[in-house]
Amino acid sequence: MSAIEVDELTKHFVGGVRALEGVTFSVEEGEVFGYLGRNGAGKSTTVRILTTLLRATSGTARVLGHDVATEPAAVRKVFGAALQEAALDELMTGREHLEMAARLAGLGKPASAERAAELLESFGLKAAADRIAAGYSGGMRRRLDVAMAMVRRPEVLFLDEPTTGLDPQGRRAVWELIRDLRDAGSTVFLTTQYLAEADELSGRVAVVHDGRIAAIGTSQELKDRLGTTTVRVRVAPADEARVREAVAPDVVAPAEDGWLEVTVAGGEAAVPAVVGRIVGAGAAVDGLSIRPPSLEDVFVGLTGTQIETSAGGVDVGNVTAVRRSVGLPSGHGR
Amino acid sequence: MSPFGQLRLLLFRNLREGARNPVLAYALPIIIPLAVLVLVAKTLYRVTDLPGFPTDNYAEWMTPAIIMLTAMTGVGYAATSLVIDIQSGFLDRLRLLDVRPPALLLSRVLFDVVRVVPAGVVLLIVGLLLGMDLNEGVLGIVLLFALLVLWAAAYGGLYFVVALTTKNAQAPLALAPLFLPLQFLSTQFVPRVLLPGWVQTIADWNPFTYMVDASRAMTTGPLTFAPVAKAVAVAVAMLVVTQTLSLRAYNRAVQGA
Repeated sequence: MSAIEVDELTKHFVGGVRALEGVTFSVEEGEVFGYLGRNGAGKSTTVRILTTLLRATSGTARVLGHDVATEPAAVRKVFGAALQEAALDELMTGREHLEMAARLAGLGKPASAERAAELLESFGLKAAADRIAAGYSGGMRRRLDVAMAMVRRPEVLFLDEPTTGLDPQGRRAVWELIRDLRDAGSTVFLTTQYLAEADELSGRVAVVHDGRIAAIGTSQELKDRLGTTTVRVRVAPADEARVREAVAPDVVAPAEDGWLEVTVAGGEAAVPAVVGRIVGAGAAVDGLSIRPPSLEDVFVGLTGTQIETSAGGVDVGNVTAVRRSVGLPSGHGR
Repeated sequence: MSPFGQLRLLLFRNLREGARNPVLAYALPIIIPLAVLVLVAKTLYRVTDLPGFPTDNYAEWMTPAIIMLTAMTGVGYAATSLVIDIQSGFLDRLRLLDVRPPALLLSRVLFDVVRVVPAGVVLLIVGLLLGMDLNEGVLGIVLLFALLVLWAAAYGGLYFVVALTTKNAQAPLALAPLFLPLQFLSTQFVPRVLLPGWVQTIADWNPFTYMVDASRAMTTGPLTFAPVAKAVAVAVAMLVVTQTLSLRAYNRAVQGA
């Protein structure tokens, strides 16, 4: 049984926004599954449907075999979720957040206090446990939010852009947390708009674009299948024509100081053959370097646009406010 | 966790939050009614000389009505807090923990209700200092506070409907001045017979009129069945209607997000 199974999921909001246009994928147990896309690609809508917070327009989704639409209560018992914005009550302390979540999850009072203390300890929030959340840093807020998601010891964890808006230090801490979860065998559904994050943490990555899955595979598979490798060779000017001939139809572009760049479709596997053809054509190669395919190339190839590589510049609060005022779905991204 | 357990836990959360924000939560509901009572009792007291005015102490006439007014100046905090929960995503967290919508809404309604009680007590004391008599004794006071909390829940329901329909934390603020016309178009300042005919007609349709009339029966007396029954019926009807609408607006609000 897959941990998450999604079949032809669509979501059309009132007012005509088509957030999802038929999304199909499955996530295996114990896998960290990256869900990569720009703002507005449909990431949060997917998460909100999978976590029973939003009803899909059509299609089905199951989490550990339970249908999210027809058995929401059963589904909620097996997953934990940290949604896009750290969902905290500014006037409650870290400990109060966790104790309340534990009580609502059905633990008794002493057991809740114990579970809260345990989570505070393991999420590095012990020192701040009795301060109200209003004074927490971005990284602490995120850690508390994930800790709340862990109260029920979930089998599947949804993390919706867990590092968006965090400083590098906070981001590293969350990455470490996700690695720990991965090593402990948890199933994690991780949405992100950062390529490096998907590349670094996920087993498989789904690239989502305009409400559709553009490609799915391990980072390496995607690079091999959809990326390009650049082979740079340095040859005497007289040999340039030989190189072009030898590698055609691959594209050759001159670079500085006598270097030529040969762009080859696919991963590094194609490199030996290309180099062999160049050498075989009699060109005197006195320098060679290789730039392997990157997930960024893959992403640009699939979506036709660069992904945002930093969180700076966009004030999410304002975007939300504007959306709300024009009657668009105001929620968390799309 | 049972819905009742959830309600208790959520109400406790709201009370704790109120205790951390005491000025906004508990002091604010007192200010406007207190100002109205003291100013009116000290400036307009000679209206009691008008023929047909049932008492010669204007503070006694005004105090029960003003206690009912605290429900109208005091509510709204809970509705705004609810919208903030929606916007911050905290509500989603609660939904993921299977919190039942009625438990959530009721926990907020009850918090609004708790907030008006200290305001009512302060105004009652001020009224006594201004020379009001409590002819109906302890029973009257108990009934007065019971009606106060019922009316606070009923009137607060309007705020919930607006808050959840607009999903805008500021929107309930726009309702705040509503107490002004309701006050003048009721029997708060003068008896019904001294109101112009068209105002009498409006006052008969104004729910606040029934609260005012019953509150006087419970303090000045005489405590008779009819005004109390009418007030309870009006408040309960308003409570049921507003909470039904809130629940529907809540379900729409969380699904549209």
